Amino acid sequence: MQSNIRYSKRYVYPFTALLGQEKMKKALLLNAVNPRLGGVLIRGEKGTAKSTAVRSLAALLPEITVIAGCPYQCDPFHPEKFCINCRTAYKLETPPLAWRQVQVVDLPVSATEDRVVGSLDFEYAVKQGGRRFEPGLLARANRGILYVDEVNLLDDHLVDLLLDAAALGVNFVEREGISYSHPAEFILVGTMNPEEGELRPQLIDRFGLCVQIEGESDPKTRVEIIKRRESFDQDPLGFLEMWSAEEEKARREIIAACRLLPEVAMDPQLEELVVQICTEALVAGHRADLVMTACARTLAALYGRREVRESDVQEAAEYVLPHRMRQAPPPPQEPEPPEPEEPDEPEDPEEEEEQQEQEQEQQQEQQQSPEMQEEQQEDQDQSPQKAPPQGAPDVVFAVGEPFPVRRISYKVKGILRRGSGRRSRGQTATKTGRYVRSAMRWERQDLAFDATLRAAAPYQKRRRRDRVAVVIESADLREKVREKRVGNFLLFAVDASGSMGAQQRMVEAKGAVLSLLLDAYQKRDRVGMVAFRGEQADVLLPPTNSVERAQKLLQELPVGGRTPLSAGLIKSYEVAKAHLFKDPDIRPLLIIISDGKANVSIGEERPLAEAVRAAEMIKDEERIKSLVVDVESSGFLSFGLARQLAEAMDAEYYKLDDLKADRLVEAVHNTLG
Amino acid sequence: MEQTIEQTVRYIYPFTALVGQENMKLALILNAINPKLAGVLIRGEKGTAKSTAVRALATLLPDNQVVAGCPFGCDPEDVAAMCSSCREQLRSGELNKTKHKMRVVELPVSATEDRVVGTLDLEEAIKKGEKRFEPGVLAEANRGILYVDEVNLLDDHIVDVLLDSAAMGVNTVEREGVSFTHPANFMLVGTMNPEEGELRPQLLDRFGLCVQIQGILEPDRRVEVIRRRVAFEEDPARFCAAWEPEQEKLRRQIIAAKKALPHVQVADRMLYLIAEIAIEMGVDGHRADLIMIKAAKTMAALQGREEVGEEDIRATADLALMHRMRRKPFQDLRLDQQKLEEIMGGHSHSHTHNSEHK
Repeated sequence: MQSNIRYSKRYVYPFTALLGQEKMKKALLLNAVNPRLGGVLIRGEKGTAKSTAVRSLAALLPEITVIAGCPYQCDPFHPEKFCINCRTAYKLETPPLAWRQVQVVDLPVSATEDRVVGSLDFEYAVKQGGRRFEPGLLARANRGILYVDEVNLLDDHLVDLLLDAAALGVNFVEREGISYSHPAEFILVGTMNPEEGELRPQLIDRFGLCVQIEGESDPKTRVEIIKRRESFDQDPLGFLEMWSAEEEKARREIIAACRLLPEVAMDPQLEELVVQICTEALVAGHRADLVMTACARTLAALYGRREVRESDVQEAAEYVLPHRMRQAPPPPQEPEPPEPEEPDEPEDPEEEEEQQEQEQEQQQEQQQSPEMQEEQQEDQDQSPQKAPPQGAPDVVFAVGEPFPVRRISYKVKGILRRGSGRRSRGQTATKTGRYVRSAMRWERQDLAFDATLRAAAPYQKRRRRDRVAVVIESADLREKVREKRVGNFLLFAVDASGSMGAQQRMVEAKGAVLSLLLDAYQKRDRVGMVAFRGEQADVLLPPTNSVERAQKLLQELPVGGRTPLSAGLIKSYEVAKAHLFKDPDIRPLLIIISDGKANVSIGEERPLAEAVRAAEMIKDEERIKSLVVDVESSGFLSFGLARQLAEAMDAEYYKLDDLKADRLVEAVHNTLG
Repeated sequence: MEQTIEQTVRYIYPFTALVGQENMKLALILNAINPKLAGVLIRGEKGTAKSTAVRALATLLPDNQVVAGCPFGCDPEDVAAMCSSCREQLRSGELNKTKHKMRVVELPVSATEDRVVGTLDLEEAIKKGEKRFEPGVLAEANRGILYVDEVNLLDDHIVDVLLDSAAMGVNTVEREGVSFTHPANFMLVGTMNPEEGELRPQLLDRFGLCVQIQGILEPDRRVEVIRRRVAFEEDPARFCAAWEPEQEKLRRQIIAAKKALPHVQVADRMLYLIAEIAIEMGVDGHRADLIMIKAAKTMAALQGREEVGEEDIRATADLALMHRMRRKPFQDLRLDQQKLEEIMGGHSHSHTHNSEHK
């Protein structure tokens, strides 16, 4: 390594010059001192120096002893953890030693599987004709820090790989004719902005510590932050020199704490306190107890003490519990109704997650309630109580009270899971989406070039090669497996005829749509809206991501005239079909909100018969799922026409009242199941 | 044939000939002076000269000094931000320097991930059996402008990649058998029509500045828009020539401001004003503060002042704040201009209103 700073890596803002965010800094330092803490998850709003802090930590990290030349940085003092190479090479001899700083290895969100776990060395195979393992990121991260910026955006598949390796401390590779394993013990450090979606519970639990950060609210601190950043931007080298003494001091403190740590003693009484705290917090599993004990000891070491005090345990709890508590913690000050949905929906462990989901929903409910009450009051003030007579001028009804929609989840079966946004992630059948790994098949002409090369490489010595270095045969072909996160497409077909004005039906119907829109907003679903009244159906809103516009249009939607139900169904069908043509991965969900009392037909048939025919047409298109929300008030004189319609369409059928009883989840869930 | 191609390339509607949309023009000019402003997001209806303005900006951009032959256009003076091969070269001797126009690289909405971040070089692998990195759009955009038309229609996973590299100015590639890191310090310029959906907050925050534009309503100026456009389409050569003095004037202004920028001073009072604005307006994080001060400094440099005045903050604050306001679902992205005025007013009473901003 060159010592000359000019040639060293790019300038990183010094850790010690970071102002505020004490908890985040301490959590990082604790991990630098004690790698057993299991990493840290930094959650916070954008622009709060999350990434800067992690990168600047690298400069402070102590040196470790490694076996010289080993790509896995094997620890010479722990022969039981040697990689295969070191095990054979240093069975009898003493390994040559080297010292190197603990590495921070970046895992970019665009990474593909082969580079994460390692793969066949393609160059070596072509030139030498042999199979050799080329280490990946997990190898590089052994005994270091694996850093994932925006960890909540990482693909499911990569998350699984990380979890596997993190759990075992070993990376097992079985691929491309290679069978290999090597140690992979790393500190997992991740940053995320909760606005972008939540992490899977299993992954969250892997992080030993968790801190939640916010921007500073003190003007003085803010000004100082601006000043420091500006002077760093203007003259990074000068700034680094100015802070070098501070950095050196911090480095020495870390090293001193590292030395002190093995000597730190903990009173058994305090250990009991740990257990007590964890039990009270209803933490699942035992990891919290272990991490909290380790954290308290590390804190004591950092403070230069040989014994753990009660205050250390209390402090440790602040880092260990936030992400593990079963009881919903007091909601952090989030300005928006939270978006803590799991970004994904793994197929099996659904039940485990259920509990969490419910908690989150409760939270959501609590946060939304003041708003809702307000709106409710407004509604009562504004909405007319009596039904307007048929043929009366158009009336615009207020939007009824929205209710929290429980999670709509697409459960997808089969090999080609359809792409669908934050509700679930799926593999796509088209050539779009993120390339995550390759498969041994050739169906869609989507060549995974790197994998194909690796497949062909070992045979090159034997194949006849003219003018090219690599000859590829059809057996070598590999295809890309892509994952995509696209929102779903919710198409609303709203009955805006005069009969909807009766008994506040429209107010409630609008409330129902709004609830689904709120949900769609958070999951970035695509929405569309068709309204039918008078003689015809209109596409109010072509498929768009702008839920805002849908909401506005909904508010302004007038009611009046007769009910051209068949026209509405046909129009919706056309819109959904057209959209399917554009994006075959999407799954349209048609939501029909009506009382089913068709009284206008487009053709010669009677309105009701025509509507049933249109419904059957929708039934025949398998890719379009549908759901009928019956707004007819139940009672003596109900006709049950909407139910007939639902039967003809093979759609799920729900009464508006049922939905209000918080059953919308199952409604949509079942429909898509 | 070649001639026509050259002509279409050469004649871009001159930036200075754009009518109105002063906010958008200001935001783009500020970025041309100070790339650390990290780009602009232009929000507006269709047909409001959004794309024209961005393409026109390219002709105004100053030259960059680059290492000759470097695919990333590394700055020979800035060792810290160099790619690995330039660094190697520098260690063994001098670098060949050359000048390049600042690039405007367009990222089509349909771009695939491998084209964006770069991938394994196919030809090299087949012909020589060697692994080499083939740079993508992010490499090309280093030290230039990355322009995304209809940025809100970009695929989610491409946005993730953009976020990842925009955050650190570095593109780390670990895919398709290649492992490579190179500088990717770009100015992100995007246009969008909010009617087609919002941007993710995290991406929104990556744009240094944001402007909201509307069609021009005064009939006189609308006519002027048509007249100029017709004149340009009829005879682009003549139109451009007629506007060249204006263009040259602005170009010189930009270069002068670029030189003056490092010497612009900021009084503590101004920093406090900025911090107060950020706290009172309730923005997320600290990026708004940092961008506000940079924008005000750049504005002062553009105006030929040596110290940031309140008027500079007034003229630029909304550009940095608009898209960073906390908001509820279904709420439009907008800035409480009145509140901003109140905060500014609390600091001093004797300043003229800047009527340019609504």
